[in-house]
Amino acid sequence: MKKSGNLMSSKIKISSKDVSVFYSQNKALNNITFDIDEKKVTSLIGPSGCGKSTFLRCLNRMNDTIDICKVKGKVLIDNEDIYAPNVDPVLLRARVGMVFQKPNPFPKSIFDNVAYGPSIHGLASSKDELENIVLTSLQRAGLYKEVKNRLSETGTSLSGGQQQRLCIARAIAVSPEIILMDEPCSALDPIATAIVEELIDELVKNYTIVIVTHSMQQAARVSQNTAFFHMGNLIEFGSTQKIFSTPQFKQTQDYITGKIG
Amino acid sequence: MGFWSFSVFILIIAISAYWYGNTKALRLNSNSIEKLPSLPKYYGNYALIWLIFPCLLGVFLWITLNTYILDTILINHLPKELENSFAGGINMLVDRVKTINIDNPFPGTNPELIDAAIFLENKSNEVRAYFLWGIISISVLLCFVSLKKISFKFKARQAVEKSNVTLLILCSIVAIITTVGIVFSLIFEAMRFFDQVSIFDFLFGLSWSPQMAIREDQVASQGSFGAIPLFTGTLLITLIAMLVAIPVGLASAIYLAEYSSSTTRSIIKPLLEILAGVPTVVYGFFAAITVGPFFREFADFFGFNIASESAIAAGGVMGIMIIPFISSLSDDVISAVPQSLRDGSYAMGATHSETIKRVVLPAALPGIVGAILLAVSRAIGETMIVVMAAGIAANLTSNPFEAVTTVTVQIVTLLVGDQEFDSAKTLAAFALGITLFCMTLFLNLYALKIVQRYRERYE
Repeated sequence: MKKSGNLMSSKIKISSKDVSVFYSQNKALNNITFDIDEKKVTSLIGPSGCGKSTFLRCLNRMNDTIDICKVKGKVLIDNEDIYAPNVDPVLLRARVGMVFQKPNPFPKSIFDNVAYGPSIHGLASSKDELENIVLTSLQRAGLYKEVKNRLSETGTSLSGGQQQRLCIARAIAVSPEIILMDEPCSALDPIATAIVEELIDELVKNYTIVIVTHSMQQAARVSQNTAFFHMGNLIEFGSTQKIFSTPQFKQTQDYITGKIG
Repeated sequence: MGFWSFSVFILIIAISAYWYGNTKALRLNSNSIEKLPSLPKYYGNYALIWLIFPCLLGVFLWITLNTYILDTILINHLPKELENSFAGGINMLVDRVKTINIDNPFPGTNPELIDAAIFLENKSNEVRAYFLWGIISISVLLCFVSLKKISFKFKARQAVEKSNVTLLILCSIVAIITTVGIVFSLIFEAMRFFDQVSIFDFLFGLSWSPQMAIREDQVASQGSFGAIPLFTGTLLITLIAMLVAIPVGLASAIYLAEYSSSTTRSIIKPLLEILAGVPTVVYGFFAAITVGPFFREFADFFGFNIASESAIAAGGVMGIMIIPFISSLSDDVISAVPQSLRDGSYAMGATHSETIKRVVLPAALPGIVGAILLAVSRAIGETMIVVMAAGIAANLTSNPFEAVTTVTVQIVTLLVGDQEFDSAKTLAAFALGITLFCMTLFLNLYALKIVQRYRERYE
């Protein structure tokens, strides 16, 4: 398929080559091959159980934590295979941050939540530096103004939308190159969703973002590229505009127009 | 009428009342367009409840009042001369009459007493018959009324559910009343003790040797009742037990919950729980004949001389006994920490051990603290191991190699054997009991507070 002009100019950040995933004997993903551009938002859409979340979890090797899960194929980040034997998944995950479907702040204060990553990776050499990282991350996540007077309160005392932005702040505190978002707004109300979407628009200037979403409108609003998954296969990939206006495949069209899903 | 025939009788009435209520409801339902507001079985249950509740209440009343009524009847019946001639007062006389075996009285027993005993036996049967028939007639009457009530206006389900709630409330009250009863019985006996020994000497005395003179002229008659050595002994042994149990128990819980494969876990967990099933007596002689001498020889090797009965032997074995409590409970708590928190931590590039240390354990802390405190109260209350392995010598020491004793062990030794129930020696047990009770109560309250605080923070 042909890509539109502005996509051609982008550098490829992540390249998935023949990625298949098995849960025990069941094949959850079937030879997925496509490229994700740097500093763009790529959304993964598709009906439930189509493998989009599984694919997302391949990109930071979170599937390693599930015993029965096996990944085949290659995922290249900056042309290096992250499944190569010499790659340490722990270090990889510091480069590839992740935000989950349900906000999962740690049972710690707001400050400690954001300071968690920098402190385990030794990113700050002094207390001031750590504080600096935390405050910058909170600012970037657009949360600073709301929480600046209550940094020592527990993260779970925030509202759902604030918790999700706290998780985003936590993820960007370790300065990752890529942020993976697994349906980050599905547990949020429309107003909190709008705030997170604005934040994504802002973050994409500095980070490569891959987002799984159930909301076609959200994919259309926030992403530049869209991949449509169905039954473990990548059906169609291209610019969001193209996927939503002139889909090549009937399945894509059916899903976008709400006939399946 | 005996108690068993009474029970069978009530059972038969109960079944027929249920059946009748059910059938009447079904009949009303089928004979009319209008339907009863509740399912037929509720009408049967309603009748059943009105039979069983009054019955239970009546039996309870009978059990509580029976002795009082019979005593009063007997006292009124006994001639004044007999009462006056009997040394020891009226209550002693009543007890004496009650102990007489009517069929085969002890040779030489006063015939007047035997007559009284026969009289008592007859009266007792009579009173029981009154009660049982009374109970039956009242409950059958109530049951009958409740069956009469079945109509289209009567909502049986609501009534049955209300009485279910009442039953649940009653059950929880039983637990509360028992606790209150125990506390009061302890308090009253302890107050009798404090009449003889000052509370200040008891709480702050440094020496414990509970001897009391039985005769005026007895040598070494003055006992001392300073409880400090007992409480320090208890604390010392508990501390040693906790030093063994907390690290080992927690570490095995972390291994089980976080690292072990499901096959390993399914083998190790039951094995650990077997430890909890070993009777404490067995631990006791394990401590006394294996661990105690081991520590003595171990110290001998370095030229120290220690007793084979030592705090460390008892505390160490007690610690081993407590391991499964801590590991099993903590394992459940750790496993209950949501996977999303672990995922969040891994996604930040945290290693497994960082995740456990900094996310999982803090989240599980309230539960772990709870498990530890449960273990502490188990350790404080443990008696058997201490009797066998640490001895009964009340030394005031912080040296774990010396013999010490604990509060519970002293309570046992004070109450074992023939005792006078008005001597300070026996009553001291109650004073110790109430003090121990207060101690664990405050410990538990404090623990609850800690758990509450963390809970606010973490959920």
